[in-house]
Amino acid sequence: MTAAPASATRTLGTTDATRRALVRKQAWGRRAPLLPALIFTVVVTQLPFVLTIWYSLNRWDFLKPGSFKFTWLSNYTKPFGDKFFREAALHTIVIVVGTVLIGTALGTLLAMLLDRKFVGQGFVRTLLITPFLIMPVAASLIWRHAFLDATYGFVNWLLSLVGASPVAFTTRHPLAAVVGVLVWQWTPFMMLIILAGLQGQSGEVLEAARVDGASAGQTFRSITLPHLRPYMELGALLGSIYLIQTFDTVDQLAGGAPGARNIPYFIYQRSIGGGWKFGQASAYGVVVVFATIVIANLALRLISSLLEDQ
Amino acid sequence: MRAVVLLPVTPEGTSMKPRSLDRPTRTRSRRTAALGAVAVLSLLASACGSDSPSVDTTPVTEAAAEAPAETTAAPAETTPAETTLGATETTAAAKAADGGSITVAIVDNPTMKDIQTLTPDNFTKTTGIKVNYVSLNEQTLREQVTKSVGSGAAQYDVVMIGPYEAPQFGANGWLQDLTAMAAADTAYDVNDLIPAVKGALSNNGKMFAVPFYAESSFLMYRKDLADAAGVTIPEAPTWDEVAAAAKKLKTADMAGICLRGKPGWGDLGASLGTVVNTFGGTWWDANADGSIGKAQVNTGGFKDAFNFYAQLLKDAGEPDAANASFNECLKLMQDSKAAMWYDATVAAGILESADSPIKGKLAYALAPTKETKASGWLWSWALAMPAGTKNTDAAWKYMSWATSKDYIKLSATLPGGWAGIPPGSRTSTYAIPEYLAAAPAFAPLTLKAMLAAPIDNPGTTKRPGLPGVQYVGVPEFADIGTRCTQELSAAIAGTQSNDEALNKCQDIAAEASS
Repeated sequence: MTAAPASATRTLGTTDATRRALVRKQAWGRRAPLLPALIFTVVVTQLPFVLTIWYSLNRWDFLKPGSFKFTWLSNYTKPFGDKFFREAALHTIVIVVGTVLIGTALGTLLAMLLDRKFVGQGFVRTLLITPFLIMPVAASLIWRHAFLDATYGFVNWLLSLVGASPVAFTTRHPLAAVVGVLVWQWTPFMMLIILAGLQGQSGEVLEAARVDGASAGQTFRSITLPHLRPYMELGALLGSIYLIQTFDTVDQLAGGAPGARNIPYFIYQRSIGGGWKFGQASAYGVVVVFATIVIANLALRLISSLLEDQ
Repeated sequence: MRAVVLLPVTPEGTSMKPRSLDRPTRTRSRRTAALGAVAVLSLLASACGSDSPSVDTTPVTEAAAEAPAETTAAPAETTPAETTLGATETTAAAKAADGGSITVAIVDNPTMKDIQTLTPDNFTKTTGIKVNYVSLNEQTLREQVTKSVGSGAAQYDVVMIGPYEAPQFGANGWLQDLTAMAAADTAYDVNDLIPAVKGALSNNGKMFAVPFYAESSFLMYRKDLADAAGVTIPEAPTWDEVAAAAKKLKTADMAGICLRGKPGWGDLGASLGTVVNTFGGTWWDANADGSIGKAQVNTGGFKDAFNFYAQLLKDAGEPDAANASFNECLKLMQDSKAAMWYDATVAAGILESADSPIKGKLAYALAPTKETKASGWLWSWALAMPAGTKNTDAAWKYMSWATSKDYIKLSATLPGGWAGIPPGSRTSTYAIPEYLAAAPAFAPLTLKAMLAAPIDNPGTTKRPGLPGVQYVGVPEFADIGTRCTQELSAAIAGTQSNDEALNKCQDIAAEASS
C-alpha cells in the first residue's frame, strides 16, 4: 500500500518537486499574516492549559510553603473515587440536561408565537430576549433576594395570596432553583435559534400541506418539527457547552449548597475558593476540559453538517 | 434581537457553495441568513459565557478574580463617598508634603467606610501619605489577600486579616513582625491593646497584626418581650435556659431566636463552633505533636451540639434559617421579627444606634454555655503588613494611626457618634466616659465577654494547631469548615437528615487527619 505512492512520486521527477515547493511557498504566503493571531491564541489559551496539566502532576498546597512536589498521576486517582466529585458531576448533568430540555421546549413554543404577525411583535420579542442579556451574577442575585427569598421575596408573596406557606426555594430546593433560573436565562437563546429555523421554512411546502388537508397538528409534527430538528440540536449543543461551565448561579443563587454544587463550583472550592490545593484542583480541571472537548466536538460536527446541507 | 432583524437585509447568495436547483432560492438564502444569525448568537453567547469566572487554569482564575474585585469595591452607595474621598485627597495631598502613597486592602463594612471618610483630612493632611483603599467583601478579601501575600507580591502595603490568618501567615513568613515597630512607638501604647486580642494576632510572641476592632459573641434579647412573657435570662445563661426562653418567646410572626445558618466557616461555622465547644465537642482530636488527629464530627459533643442547634432552629428559629447570617438576623431584629439573637458583640452598637427602631428595648447576656465556663468567640479585623511591602515606614504610620486611641476619639465625631466607634481593640476604650454613657447597656458586657473568651482552651479537649475559639488554627480548617457547614446548612434547610450531613462532614474533616 505505502510503496505505490512512493514510487509514483519518484517517477514524476524534478518538475513536480519544483511545483510542490512553489505550492508550499504560496501556502506559507497565505498563512504568514495569520501567524501573529495564531501565536497569540496559543499563548493565551494553550500555554495556561499546559501549565495546568503540569500543576495537575504536582502536589501544590498553597497555604503550606514548600509543599510543591512532583507526584506523577496521583492527583488523577482522586476524581473518580471522590463521592463529592461524583455528586457534583451528577448535578452538572442534571443542570445541563434539565435546562436544555426545558429551555428548548419553552423556546419552541415562544418561537412559534413570534413566527406569527401580531401587533407589538417587536416589543414582545425584545422583552423575551432580555433575560439572556442580563449578567448571570446579577440575575442570580435578583432571583435570590427579590423573587425567591422566604421572607421578603415576590414569589412567596404571590404564594401567600393564595394562602400557601412560604417556601425557602434556594435552600430547600437548590437544584430546582438553579435549573429554574438557568431556564429563564437560556430559553431566549433556544428561542432565537429555533425562530431562525422557523423563518427558514419553505412557505410552498406548508401551503401544499394545507391544500392536501393536513391539520395544524399534523403539519407541525410531520413538516415543521423535522425541519427544526437540526436547529434544536444546534441550540442544545451550544447551550450545553456554556451550561456545563455554570458557576455564577450555583455560587450566588444557591450559595454553593451541596444539593446544587456542580463541577465548576467544586473546582473553584478546591482552588482559590478556600482549598488552595492547586495541584488537585488542576487535575479535576483537566478531567473536565477533556469531557467538554468531547461535547464541543459533537457540536462542531453538527454545525459543519448543517453547512454541508446548503 | 439584532440577529433576527438581520434576516431580510442579508444579501442573497453569500454562500460560497453552488446553489442546488431543487430548492427555491429565497428559502435557501433565508437559511444562510439563519446560520448567520446562529453565528452571531454563538458569539454573543461566548461573550456572556466569559462573564463567569473560569476555573480551568490558575492564570485565568486570577484574572477573573480581579475583575469582580473591582466591581464589588464600588457598590452604588459607596460611590459618592469615594468620589468625595478622591477629591479631598487631591487637595490634602497638595497641601502636605508628598509622603508617597500606600495601598490598603480592607473589608467592606460600615466601620471601614468611616475610616475611608476620615483618612484624607486627617492622616494624609498631617503625614502627606496618600492612601488608596481597595474595599472588598469578606470572601473576596480572603481570596485576594491570601493569593497576594502568599505569592510574595507587593500589591498591597497593608492588608486586613483576622486572628485565623495572622498567626498562620506569620508562621509562613508572609507577614512582617510588628513587635519591634509597635514597642518603639511610645505614643502607640501597645500594652493598651486587649491582651486576648493581641495574643490571638500573635505567634510565638511575635505580633503580626494590630486590631482595628474586635468582637466576642453574646446573647441580645428584647427585654420588653421577655418581661411580658415572664421570662428571665441570667447574665451567664446556659443553652438549655436559652432554648426554653426562645420557645416561650416565639409567636406566629416572631422567631424566638435568630441563629446563623448560612454556610461558611465564618458564618454558621462561627456560631455553631462556640456551641460545639461548650457541648464538649471538637472538629478533630489533637495528636501529641499538635497536628490534626482523628475527626470527631459525627460523634459525641459535636453531634449533640449540632442536633441541639438544628432542633432549636426548627422549634423557635427564624424562617429559612439556612439562608441567614449576621445581616439577615440584624434585619429581623430591627423589624421586630426575632426576640433573641446570639451573634457578634458589635451588633449591639447597631441595634442601639440613634436611628434604630428597637433602641433601648434590649438587654444582653454572656454567650450561653453547657459544659464550659465561657463560650464566646474571639474575632478581630486587624491590619497586617505583607512581607513584600517596600513602604514599611509609611505602612506602619498608617497602621498605628488607624488603630490608635486618637483614631477611636476621632471616629466619634462622625454622625454615628460614640456608639459607633471601633470597639473591642483597646482597654482604654472602656474607660472613656462618653462611650460608657452612650453604650451603658452593652459596653461593659462586651469588655467582660472579650476578657472571658476562652482563646487558649475553648472546649474540653486539646485542639490541634494554633489557638482559636470558633475556628481551628490549622490551614485546612477554612476549606473544611466551609464545605462542612454547606452540608450542615442543607440539613438545617431540610434537604438531608442531620445524620447524613454529619457523616458527610466527618468524611470531609477526615481528609485532613494525619
